[in-house]
This record gives sequence, structure tokens and C-alpha cells, in this order.
Amino acid sequence: MKKTIVIFILAAFGYFLAITFLAPEFESNRNRNGVKNVYLDKTVSELKTANTVTAIVVNFRGFDTLGEVTVLFLAATALGSILFKKRHHIGERTVMLPASSIVGSGAKLIFPAIILLGAYVFIHGHLTPGGGFQGGTIIATGFLLMLISYRDFSISHNILSVIESLAGILFVVFGLLGFMNGGTFLQNFMGTGVLNDLFSGGVIPIIYILVGFKVAAELTGLIYTILHEKG
Amino acid sequence: MSLYEIIGGILIIIGAAFLFLGGLGILRMPDVYNRLQAGTKATTMGAMSLILGVGVVKMEDSWTWIVKMSIIIIFIAISNPISSHALARAMYRRKRYPFIKSSDKNMDAYREIIEKEEKDEKTVMNDQ
Repeated sequence: MKKTIVIFILAAFGYFLAITFLAPEFESNRNRNGVKNVYLDKTVSELKTANTVTAIVVNFRGFDTLGEVTVLFLAATALGSILFKKRHHIGERTVMLPASSIVGSGAKLIFPAIILLGAYVFIHGHLTPGGGFQGGTIIATGFLLMLISYRDFSISHNILSVIESLAGILFVVFGLLGFMNGGTFLQNFMGTGVLNDLFSGGVIPIIYILVGFKVAAELTGLIYTILHEKG
Repeated sequence: MSLYEIIGGILIIIGAAFLFLGGLGILRMPDVYNRLQAGTKATTMGAMSLILGVGVVKMEDSWTWIVKMSIIIIFIAISNPISSHALARAMYRRKRYPFIKSSDKNMDAYREIIEKEEKDEKTVMNDQ
């Protein structure tokens, strides 16, 4: 009985493997996926955005990005609530040794540079590789460095949640402004400007800056909760 | 070939050689401190020389490249020693002391300690 099942599974696996290798390559049916050409043509000519990935993430499927941001927010909130409950149950903290003064002064020196890099990455999201999610993560690593260098470094959860909520609300507000001005949610209603300018691309840089703030606040709160769960 | 390319190429080759030696050192050295020393010294010098070489090669196009590369070099000069210091300090706190009395041709000095610890844990578990 077992042997029959194994042979059956192997046969099915081999069948699908054969289909995969015998199927025509992607290059041969290039004409079928015309949506790729639409993205590539419209990004430069209509949106005046140098980074096609940013144009797709924020403009062509901006609604999905709103969903992604919501998923991240829910995950952070859920993890925070679980860890909060756990901490109350255990009720004791292990004392960790502080980092040495060399690490402390080095972290102080590098921290502004990391924040600057993160801000640069999400402000220039429409011109260079990177964007809101990446820049926010870089900023969160800067806060992680400070948190492991100084044990008493504290971040106010209220300020974090205010930043997070404001960024999320403004995202939706910009989407609704597009609704009023253009006709669809997250319509690019502002002037697109000149290609490769910092102020170009309409609402794309604004929304990516908001995403950057939101991701940075969320991940910083997450790191803070995890680090202070054990003490 | 211009002078920039020759000087930059030499710097890149020096950097690559140092990075190779660093990798070899991490593979060959017996304990944590020796490995850290090999890794950090070689990466600091190797990466710095390599990045400077790229800056010199690209200086033919515009001089701003060397400024950008200098900023990266300053960042490496700050972060690399600090991180290896933190690693060495953590290992010292975990009571992994330098290995002085090592048997000859010992590639991994801590294997004996780790195996012994695992054996002890097993005996403890068997006793329970």
C-alpha cells in the first residue's frame, strides 16, 4: 500500500516536472503579457518617474500597497499584544549587562548617519532604487543600534503610534483626494514635473514618504517591544 | 589605459588580496580572537583599499566619486572596529578565553570544549 502511494506521488511529481521543462520559454510568448509593456511605457512618459518599481508599487497598484501597510500594522499590533500578555504572566526580568562605552560612543556617532541614509532612501524612492519600506527599515535598524547600545534608551510608544496613525490616515486622505480630483482612488492628480527631478512624479514621492514614516514607526515599536520583553 | 585606471586597479588588487587572506584566516585560525583579528584587519584594509580603488578608477569621469568613496571609507573605519570589539567582548563575557595550550594543527580549538559540554549535558540528562 505504501509503495503504491509513493509510486503515485513520484509519478505525479515527475509529470509536473516534465510539464515545467517541456513548456515553452517565457521569451517565446512575449506577446501574451502586454501589461509589462504598459508599465514600462507609461512610467517614463506619463508619470515621469525614473524608478519603475516605485511607480508600480505606489501608483499602478497603490491600493495593494495600502493593504500591505495594513497587514504590517496588524502584525505589529498582534505581536505587541502577545508579548505584552506574556510579560505580565512571567513578571520577572533578567538583567542584561550594558554595552561598553566604545560601542555607546560609536553608536552615537553612527546613529544620525543611519537616520539620514534612511530618509534619503525614502525621499529619493522615485529616482533611485529603494523606497518607503526599505528606508523605514533602515531607520528602524538605527533605533535598534541605539537600543542595544544604551539599556535605558527609551522610545515613547505614544509618539510612535501618533506618527504611525498620522501617516496611515494621510495615505488614505491622498487616495481620497485622487478620488475627488481624478475619479479613482489614489489617482495621480498632481503635476508630474520633469523626469529625474526631486519634485516630480506627482503624489508618488509624498505617498512613499508617508509609507517610510509608517514602516519606521512600526518596526521601531516592534523592536522595542521584543527587546524589552525579556528585559 | 589611463593613469587613474592603473592606480585604481593596483588598489583593487591589493584589497582583493587582503580580503582573500581574511577569509583564509577565518577558516584556518583556531579560536575566536584570532579569527576576529584576521577577519577585522583584513576586511578593514581590504574593503577600504577596494573602495578607494573604485573611486580612483571612476575619478576619470568626475571627481565627486572620490568624495563619495571617502564617506563610505569613514563609515567602515568607524563601524568595523567597533563591531569586532563588541563581538570579542561578548565572547569574553561568555567565558570563551583565548586558547593558549593548543595541540598542534588544531583547526577548531573550541570543538573539544563544545563536545565536552555536550557530553556533560548528556550525562546530566541520563542521570535525571
